[in-house]
Amino acid sequence: MSIRPPTLREKRRYLLARIDPAGMPVETKDLYYAVYEAVVSLFGDMAAAAMQPSVLAIESGHAILRCRRGAEREFAIALSTLSTCRDCTLAVRVIAVSGTIESLRERIATLVPQEPDVPAHDGAGEGVPDADPCEYRFGTTPVEPVVWHGHKVDVIEKGFKNTRRLFLTTEDLEKIHATTIPDGL
Amino acid sequence: MKITDACVYPYPVGDSSIRRFALEARSFGYDSIVAADTPAAEVCGITVIPGIFLAGIPAKDVQSRVKKCRGSGAVIAVQVGDNGFNRAVASTNGVHILRGIHAADKRAFDHVAAKIAADNNTALDIDLSPLIFGRGHLRQKAIHRYIDLMILYRRFEFPLTISSSARSVLGMRAVREATGLCSLFGMDETDVQAVLAGVSRVTGPTESVVKVIT
Repeated sequence: MSIRPPTLREKRRYLLARIDPAGMPVETKDLYYAVYEAVVSLFGDMAAAAMQPSVLAIESGHAILRCRRGAEREFAIALSTLSTCRDCTLAVRVIAVSGTIESLRERIATLVPQEPDVPAHDGAGEGVPDADPCEYRFGTTPVEPVVWHGHKVDVIEKGFKNTRRLFLTTEDLEKIHATTIPDGL
Repeated sequence: MKITDACVYPYPVGDSSIRRFALEARSFGYDSIVAADTPAAEVCGITVIPGIFLAGIPAKDVQSRVKKCRGSGAVIAVQVGDNGFNRAVASTNGVHILRGIHAADKRAFDHVAAKIAADNNTALDIDLSPLIFGRGHLRQKAIHRYIDLMILYRRFEFPLTISSSARSVLGMRAVREATGLCSLFGMDETDVQAVLAGVSRVTGPTESVVKVIT
């Protein structure tokens, strides 16, 4: 079909959503399939066709999604039922709804800190602790922090078998110093 | 009136610490959470209420467990069973919440059990996890049960609670998202606000039915 003039085009709404957990690499296409599956499984093919859900971009851990005007509420409900994307567990949290992509991009700029790669171990900022010499422990389990976001810390258990991701806070973590002698020695 | 998520499972059952749950709950608009096997605490401005979840035990054992736990300040929730079990548990003093109605038989909770729950101030829990993680028949069944429950709720006005049953912070949903999910079975925003305060309704001091006017 040829492109219609602006007055005849259907109105659309754009949703800004945060992808949790932070730092999860998600492809736009994979997220589109996951979103579409969530919409179809909850509301069916008819509603999905009328809603026209789409994923436009993923920028700085945030997704910009699109639907037809008037269907944004149902679209947000369907997004709250999204729990996996290509075997990765995630959650999509709708932050804002807007009529233009530009305003959502401005919103992302306010949400994302300017230098995200700076580690912040005192719980003051956000980042990935890539050059941190300290080792951490949660209870008795040695863990490796992967993402810091304020007081929130995502860690991965160290070990061969249990390497699941844990969601902790800075207060939960205990630093293992080089001088620490473990019990039993 | 506290906005409460009626069930979360922190570490080691889940993958998130109770502090992280509290942080996320605060950002999602909750005032308190009921956490399984966790001592009572105030974390990051969120009240953590200990929760005892009983499942797969006969009604007699439920009574003895409730007697042991009485006075601990914990919220006691029991997994629903057949109709007779539910009537017995709903009339048990000290049981706060009946959970798992989404997976129960359609005759498991009828108008008699609803009347008993309303008289004894026992809440029914609306678990959002089958709506979030379930697909196909499982979710359809859950929505059907909740629609039936809402019919009984409007007639008998027993307390309701909403829980995410989250084992991870990724499974928690914000108050706004919970409102959207509850609209799938006919709850409006006012209903959801009232239901989210259901835990404080069942754990708070009971008001006397008879008022003495001097």
